[in-house]
Amino acid sequence: MTALTRRLGVGWSWRRHPLPVALAAIAAAALVGLVLCLIAGAGPGQTISALVEGTVGTPFAIGTSLNAASVLILIAGGFTIAFRAGLVNVGGEGQLAAGGVAAAAVGTTLGAGTPAVIALPAVLAAGAAGGALWAAIAAYLRVRRDASEIITTLLLNFVGLALITLMVNEPSLLRQPQTSSETLPQSSPLIDSAHIPLLGLDSSPTTVALLLALAVVLALGIVLRQTATGLRLRTVGLSPSAASRLGMPVARHLFVSLTTAGALAGLAGGVLIATSPFVLVEGFTSGYGFTGLVVGLLARGSMLAVIAVSLLLAFLTSGGINLQLVAGVPSSTVTIVAALITIFIAGAAAQGAMTNFSRRPTPAPTPGPAASAPTGA
Amino acid sequence: MDVLTQIVTSGVAFALPLLVAAIGELVSERAGVLNLSLEGMMLTGAFAGVLGSVTTGSPVLGALAGILAALVLGAAQAVLSIRLLADQIVVGIAANALALGATTFGARLLLADGKGQDVAGFADIKLPLLHSIPVLGPALFSQTALGWVCIAAIVAVVIVFSPRTVRGLTIDAVGEDAKSADWTGLPVRRIRYLCVLLAAGMAGLAGAHLALSEVRSFTDNLTAGIGYLAVVAVIAGRWRSTGVIVASIVFGVAQALQFALPAVGVDVPSALLIMLPYVFAIVAVSGFAATSRAPTCLTRPFTRGA
Repeated sequence: MTALTRRLGVGWSWRRHPLPVALAAIAAAALVGLVLCLIAGAGPGQTISALVEGTVGTPFAIGTSLNAASVLILIAGGFTIAFRAGLVNVGGEGQLAAGGVAAAAVGTTLGAGTPAVIALPAVLAAGAAGGALWAAIAAYLRVRRDASEIITTLLLNFVGLALITLMVNEPSLLRQPQTSSETLPQSSPLIDSAHIPLLGLDSSPTTVALLLALAVVLALGIVLRQTATGLRLRTVGLSPSAASRLGMPVARHLFVSLTTAGALAGLAGGVLIATSPFVLVEGFTSGYGFTGLVVGLLARGSMLAVIAVSLLLAFLTSGGINLQLVAGVPSSTVTIVAALITIFIAGAAAQGAMTNFSRRPTPAPTPGPAASAPTGA
Repeated sequence: MDVLTQIVTSGVAFALPLLVAAIGELVSERAGVLNLSLEGMMLTGAFAGVLGSVTTGSPVLGALAGILAALVLGAAQAVLSIRLLADQIVVGIAANALALGATTFGARLLLADGKGQDVAGFADIKLPLLHSIPVLGPALFSQTALGWVCIAAIVAVVIVFSPRTVRGLTIDAVGEDAKSADWTGLPVRRIRYLCVLLAAGMAGLAGAHLALSEVRSFTDNLTAGIGYLAVVAVIAGRWRSTGVIVASIVFGVAQALQFALPAVGVDVPSALLIMLPYVFAIVAVSGFAATSRAPTCLTRPFTRGA
């Protein structure tokens, strides 16, 4: 499977600037969206005003989108770390789920009097640990059993989602005490001191998680670009056999980078649990893991692009809800537009990387020394 | 009907659409193209099947519409991942989102006011005598006309694309070593196109069967992950027809058990049964019984040159 990762590895050296490609993709998809709205009976003017109001019209709308973007930034940032080492982490959704379960377990069992200084970090750390542990399964199988992390992380998503179902349905696990037959299958709420504080902007639900996410990707960007660790990860990603000949512990780098990706997705899970409504419930991941993967793949290793794409997709989604409320257009229109943007960029991006791709050595089952020498990207 | 017969019957009913989609996907993966979009193709097939049946009043035309619609989505995905070299995982996930959005949108517009409910579907055809075999009879020999088409399609694909035929070997060659296959003069891209279209057609058939033989209606996200489960069945079956068939039936029975176990008073959390197929698949790909593995060129686009 190094074959695939090597192909993906060429991504961050753009032959064509990504910005015009992205803008063209957004414009084309938006056009399709307008036509769909027209079919559903809303004029372009009405559509656009509803969309604008739903995305940036109120502090509430902006805040919700920013919170969603923080979650995506964390997942996509983690994805990028593993991606640099040549691994494709498809398991964001499952790691998010495992992180959420761990965070909820800690956040509901701490004593009610625990000070926030301890409670909040404990909940977030539990989330990160849960995600890391979940990714460690795939990392172990990759390093020791040579099982493709693309397939194992994909499969672990579904196990992780079922894990939430298990946790919230079993009274002996995390289900809240059943007082009547109408008690919902969800966990008890987290203790108050474990709630993530709001950023304190005027009537905005934006939480401190936004700052946390930005700080994390900033740190990751520096590690990847400016440190020896970043260079080592990249070497492992470009050519595991060359890295191994240079004496690098390739297996350890693979393991650590994938578990780091899991830890960040798990941290995002902890953030989601520690944000309103503060309970573990089925469907709390709501596809963030998969969207985060798409963000990571589209951003192609650039932390700046991770932030930009996360913001774009987050704002678009919350705009869609208003579209349905105000203009009477099915909110699925936005799902369609977001999917089209992704497809257009994916199609165009591969074209840009093509020239570079063809120079890459063909991965053979046992690459010889000549074939594995990296030519630099 | 006793419990065992019930479990086997509903297990096979769950397994059939899964297996139809998985057998098509197996051929595509052997040629080196992973279609995570199988879920979207099935959903599209189910939607177009119901829409076609409602519009024309004929379930046969409905089923054909379902297959055709899935082929359109499959063609788009094939162009993206084979010609434009787009990332197969990104395209697959995005295509699923697109299909979910488009069918939900379409259902609001075209199937509103209960038009998508109780549509003209296929009736059961029971084979005389065989149908009355205990336990297995009702499961295997009582299918709708479309169900029989599904079974015929599975048998045909398994035989025609068997690795023991030249055709099957050609597909394996393209998936294992696209460059060498190209050097020997095989039309790598054309073979991949055809394999993806085969997977799409089978997924469309599976979706139409689900909607027109079993549910007889369309609801948002009707397939609810069966397409992903079909991809998992290919992995758990270790890229071999017999393995995929066994995996699909095991997954189908596991799904049937979720409903049957509580009924007979066995208290197993259903979430554990939901996990089961995926855990099987993880064990299968982790090489704990190493006999066969993923096609070498799976998810790698082919481009000539250098």
